[in-house]
Amino acid sequence: MRLLRLIVAALAVTALARSGFHAQELSTLPNRPDSLKFAAIGDNGTGDQPEYDVANQMERWHRRFPFDMVIMLGDNLYGSQRAADFVQKFERPYMPLLAAGVKFYASLGNHDKTSNDTYQPFNMGGERYYTYTRGNVRFLVLDSNYLDPRQLAWLESALRDAREAWKIAYFHHPIYSDGGRHGSEIELRVKLEPLFVKFGVNVVYSGHDHIYERLKPQKGIYYFVSGAAGELRKGDLKRSINTAAGFDQDRSFMLNEIAGDDLFFQAISRTGETVDAGVIHRESQP
Amino acid sequence: MTRAWTLALEYYLLLPLGGVIAVIWANTAGDGYFRVAQALAFAVNDIGLAFGLAYVAQEVIEATLPGGAFHPWRRAILPVIAGAGGTIGAVAVYITYIHTADELVLRQGWPIACGADIFLCLALGRIVFRRGVAISFLMLVAIVGDVVGLAAISRHRLAATVHPGAGGLIIAAIAISIALRQSRVRSTWPYLSLAGPLAWLGCYWAGVHPALSLLPIVPFFSRSARSLDEFAPSRGAHGAAGHFESTFAYPVQGVAFFFGLVNAGVLLHGFDTGTWAVLAASLAGRPLGILAAVLLAVTSGVAPPRDIGWRDLIVIAFAASPGVAFSLFLASAVFPDGPLLVETRVGAIATIAGAPLALAAARLLRVGRFVDRRATQPVQTPLMDGRA
Repeated sequence: MRLLRLIVAALAVTALARSGFHAQELSTLPNRPDSLKFAAIGDNGTGDQPEYDVANQMERWHRRFPFDMVIMLGDNLYGSQRAADFVQKFERPYMPLLAAGVKFYASLGNHDKTSNDTYQPFNMGGERYYTYTRGNVRFLVLDSNYLDPRQLAWLESALRDAREAWKIAYFHHPIYSDGGRHGSEIELRVKLEPLFVKFGVNVVYSGHDHIYERLKPQKGIYYFVSGAAGELRKGDLKRSINTAAGFDQDRSFMLNEIAGDDLFFQAISRTGETVDAGVIHRESQP
Repeated sequence: MTRAWTLALEYYLLLPLGGVIAVIWANTAGDGYFRVAQALAFAVNDIGLAFGLAYVAQEVIEATLPGGAFHPWRRAILPVIAGAGGTIGAVAVYITYIHTADELVLRQGWPIACGADIFLCLALGRIVFRRGVAISFLMLVAIVGDVVGLAAISRHRLAATVHPGAGGLIIAAIAISIALRQSRVRSTWPYLSLAGPLAWLGCYWAGVHPALSLLPIVPFFSRSARSLDEFAPSRGAHGAAGHFESTFAYPVQGVAFFFGLVNAGVLLHGFDTGTWAVLAASLAGRPLGILAAVLLAVTSGVAPPRDIGWRDLIVIAFAASPGVAFSLFLASAVFPDGPLLVETRVGAIATIAGAPLALAAARLLRVGRFVDRRATQPVQTPLMDGRA
C-alpha cells in the first residue's frame, strides 16, 4: 500500500511535468481538511533576496495548502540581530504568513543568539529547548549547539512522557547528512540516536548544511536536512548510500502533512519546482 | 627500547600517541570511537585528570621554594606579566573573531584561548634553549594562562545538578590536609585517601570541575625545591618513597595517554568558526600579548631578566602559543559533546602549529641552540638598554 502510494505520487509528478503543467502546480500532498499541515525552513535568516523569494513561494503555496505552522531549523537570523534585523530578516519576508496567523516555532542555530528564545514570534517561550503538541503529533525542539546533560535528561523525560502517535524532533545540526561542508554530527548522533530509537521518534528535521536531503531511514527513523531557505551551498550534496533524494542547485523549503499514520512531504525550490515528494507511513505501535 | 621509553616519559609522548590513535579512530570508525570516548570521558577527564593537574601543581609549588626556579618571587614578576598579557591577547583575539564571524554561541568558549600546553612548551624550551632561565620564563608564561583557564572553567561545569552545602566537603578536605601536615605525615597516600575523595565529591556537587579537586590539598603535600626546567619523572628528593611525584610519575603518564585518546579524537572535516578562533587566539593573540605586556612592563620599570633578550622573548612568545592538551581539556569543560566542542577541539589540536613557528623563529633569529657561534658580536638585543 505504502509502495503503491509512492509509485502513484512519482507517476503523477512525471506525467504532469511531461504534459506541460508548470511545476508550481504540482502537489503530492493530499491537503485533507483535518490533517496537520506544516512547513519547514532552515538557515533562512539572511535578509537577502533569495530568502524573500522562498518566503514568497511559501506564501503562494499557503494559499492552496493552508499550513498553520512553520518549524524553523536554526540560523533564523544571520549577522547582526538588533530589532531592525528581526524586521528585515524575519518579519518582512514572512509578513503575509504571519498576517495569515501562521505560527513559527524556532530552534536555535549556531548563528542565532541564545537570547532570541524570548522573541515572541519564534514561540520558544524563553527556552532553548522545548516541546509542544499538535493533534496526535509531539514536536521536540532541541538546542544542538549545547546538548548538555540537563537537556539530555529533559529530552529523555519528554520522550518518555509523550503519548502521541507521532514524535517529531527538530534541531539545527544534522546527525545524518551528506552535505560536503559539514556532514553528519557524529558526536551528537551518539547521544541522541539511542534516545530516538528507544522512544520511537519517527522523523527528524535539521538544517546547517545548506542543501536539501532526504536520507534513507536509519534504524527506522526518517531524517531530512532542509537548510537552504536563505543560504545555499550549491553542489554541496555528496550523495552516499544513505541518500534517498537531494537537491543542492537552489534554495528550498518543505511542506508536510500528517494524516493518520501517514506523513506526506514535498520539498519545493525557490522557483516553485517540486524537487522531492513522498509519504512516510508510521507503523502503529503494538 | 629503554631509551625510547625514557624519552617518551621525559617528553610526555604518550599524550600525543593517544591523540594520534584517537584522530585515526574517529575518522575511520566515528560512531565506535565516540561511543568509547564518551564512555571513558568521565573517568579520564573528571577523575584521572585530577591527578594530572595535582602533579603539575606540585611542580609549580616546589618551584617557588628556596632553591626553586621562581624563588625569590621577584624573579617571577615579568613572566607572570608576560603570561597575563598573552592570556589577555589570546582572549581578545578569540572574542573579536567570534563577533566578526557572528557566532556568539561560541563566546563562552573563551577559556579555551587561555590554554597553553605546558608539556609541549617544556619540550620546545628544551629543544631551543636546552636549559636555563628562558625555560622557567616560558613555563611560567604558560602556567599563568592555564591558571586563568582553570579558574574560568570552574564555573562552567557541565553538571546536571548542583547540591547545596557541597562547599563544606571541600573545607573538610582542607582541614584534614592541614591536620596531616601538622602531624608531619610525609606520605602522599593519607592525603589522597582521606582528603581526596571529600574534595572530589565537594567539587562535583558544588558545580566545580572535579579535575580541579586535588588543587586545594596539594599545597599540604611534602615537597622539596626544584627547577621548572626538570618537570620530568622523579629525581633526587622528588623520587623519595611517598613523595607525590614518585608515586604518580607513571600513573600520570597513563592519564596523559587516555586524555589524548578521549579528547583528541576529532573529525578532520569538523573545522568551523571555533577552529579559526582558537587558532588565531593562540598563534597571534598570545604571542602579541606576551610581547606587548613585556614591552609595557619593562618601559614601566620592571627589571628584565639578565639572560633574556628580545629575540629570546619572541621565540618564547611563539613557544607558549600551542594550547593542544590544555585547550582540549578546557574545551571539553566548556562545551558539551557536539559541534561546538568538535570545532574548538580541531582548533586546539591545530595550535600545534605554534611549535614549528617557534622553531622557525629560533632558527631565523639565531636563538638558543641556533646561536651563530662564529659571530664575534653578540646578536642579542637586551630587553632594556643598560639593564641586561
